[in-house]
Amino acid sequence: MLNIKNVTKRFGNLVAVNNVSLHIDEGEVVGLIGPNGAGKTTLINVICGVYKADSGKVEFNGVDITNKEPYEICKVGISRTYQIPQPFPDMTAVNNVAVAVLGRRDVANMSFGDALLDASHFLQFVGLLSKRDVLARDLTLYEQRALELARALATLPKLLIIDEAMAGLNPTESLRAIRLINRARDEFNLTILWVEHVMKIIMETADRVLVLHYGEKIAEGSPEEISRDTRVIEAYLGEKYALR
Amino acid sequence: MVRIEHKRARIIIRFKNSKYEWTIEPRYWRNPLIAVVALVLAPLLIRDYPNLLTLLTTAYIYMLICIPQSWQTVGTGRLNFGPQFFVGLGGYTAGLLSIHYGFGPLQTLPVVILISLAFAALFSPLTIIAGGLYFSLITLLLPLVFLEFTYVYSGIFRGETGISGIAPLINLGTIRLNYVVLCYISLFMTLVYMLLIDKILRSRWGVLYGAINDNENAANMMGVNINKLKVTCYIASSVLVGIAGWFIAHYFGTFAGVTYLPFTMLIKVLLISMLGGRAQIYGVAAGAFFVVFLEDALRSLGAIHYWIFPIILLVFLFALPEGLWGIYRKHKYREYYPTMRVRKR
Repeated sequence: MLNIKNVTKRFGNLVAVNNVSLHIDEGEVVGLIGPNGAGKTTLINVICGVYKADSGKVEFNGVDITNKEPYEICKVGISRTYQIPQPFPDMTAVNNVAVAVLGRRDVANMSFGDALLDASHFLQFVGLLSKRDVLARDLTLYEQRALELARALATLPKLLIIDEAMAGLNPTESLRAIRLINRARDEFNLTILWVEHVMKIIMETADRVLVLHYGEKIAEGSPEEISRDTRVIEAYLGEKYALR
Repeated sequence: MVRIEHKRARIIIRFKNSKYEWTIEPRYWRNPLIAVVALVLAPLLIRDYPNLLTLLTTAYIYMLICIPQSWQTVGTGRLNFGPQFFVGLGGYTAGLLSIHYGFGPLQTLPVVILISLAFAALFSPLTIIAGGLYFSLITLLLPLVFLEFTYVYSGIFRGETGISGIAPLINLGTIRLNYVVLCYISLFMTLVYMLLIDKILRSRWGVLYGAINDNENAANMMGVNINKLKVTCYIASSVLVGIAGWFIAHYFGTFAGVTYLPFTMLIKVLLISMLGGRAQIYGVAAGAFFVVFLEDALRSLGAIHYWIFPIILLVFLFALPEGLWGIYRKHKYREYYPTMRVRKR
């Protein structure tokens, strides 16, 4: 489905993503982990078209999407959530989702009223229907993340990229969020690329895990393989622990 | 072909594959109707006071500049500091064509639209490449450079004295009748501008403009072609401001860049759109009447408005950030309406 070949992204002398290749098959949940500054978010931004890749190629369902504009990539079927929620703060929740509905390819002539109706379905799915008329800036962090998910789902993506959805959530909220994402995967038939710091979640939910370190892919495999990989332990905890 | 249906308080117009909905809710009609009737009756009631009539017309002219400016602020997410550039462009185009080639108002109008369109298209990439303060600074320079042009090439633009002898918009014989009819023409144009832009802002485009204003990167990520929206909004609103320049040139019969291009005009434009209510088009009406009548009241004190207006602007920006219209909206909140986002960081 998603095929990344030898992508490199530099910021001046700093190589944020170095010659990374990966592929994601349809229906998979792929975890992307790595220590701070490993280049996870940069890689996502390259996939989504926020940053232009210096070299390499990104393909989605056989279509070359390297260096396309973010809105074009969204229309192909890739959607994302942000590490720090980025709602439209001065808009109500339902309007936030309506923007995503109106950005879709199949709604070229949808009226605003119909878009609001469509948006309500997605809000209901994430459990925010009762807050549809609340301004996005007045929502709690969990609700803002749920709103982001509703917004991402409203674009009807094939591949959903989740960027650290659990950051800042308490254990109960994290559990709700995981259930919500799993339900979304089943009901919308999604493929998920999940960037996460919380190791437990990745080990439980991911079919396959990729590890980035200093912009390079150092390991790839099932969660069990990754948890035993010495290079991964070295990257996270240092050489001393890897030798034990 | 075009099919029109009436369904649940909505008129649905279908043309080929496109669909447009017009919501008719008579319970929301009362206040707009009162306002329109008051504005229509006003020139008749004060027809014996030409001084007041010109004040009204001046207020409408300011609205013709500030309503598109407000739309542009919302639609591009950027504050344009040089809407007067297109006033100058429209005015000089109409004036030069009129005095050199003997064009009438109706003949100059299409040329003004075309010229404004061309210049707006030329500057429209600014909305993509420059953001925030940089956009404001670049647009601030445009009218000032144009003003220098009118001095340097004073053979063409006649420098400080300006172009005179431009064909009048109408000539009905008596001056008093002319004043009343011109007031109505400007009122009609203002109402058309308001209705047009209100319909745009309340439609699906309005919510997309709001999204651009709030967070254009997130909007882009959700499949909204922000560049197309920003460029079309900039071009369309600039052309509307150009038409305001055309009206000014034919209304006064003279046009001097020194009246409309300098910084003082910008202060008035900002005062009207901010005092009215953070780039809300109905607030512009309140702001325009306030500024025009205040300017007239201060006239006896000399050129005091040069420093009074900026002070009022500053005080209002801090004390009443939502503007006059914002107070009304707070009490009569109905539905989402895109406004300018104030970034305090």
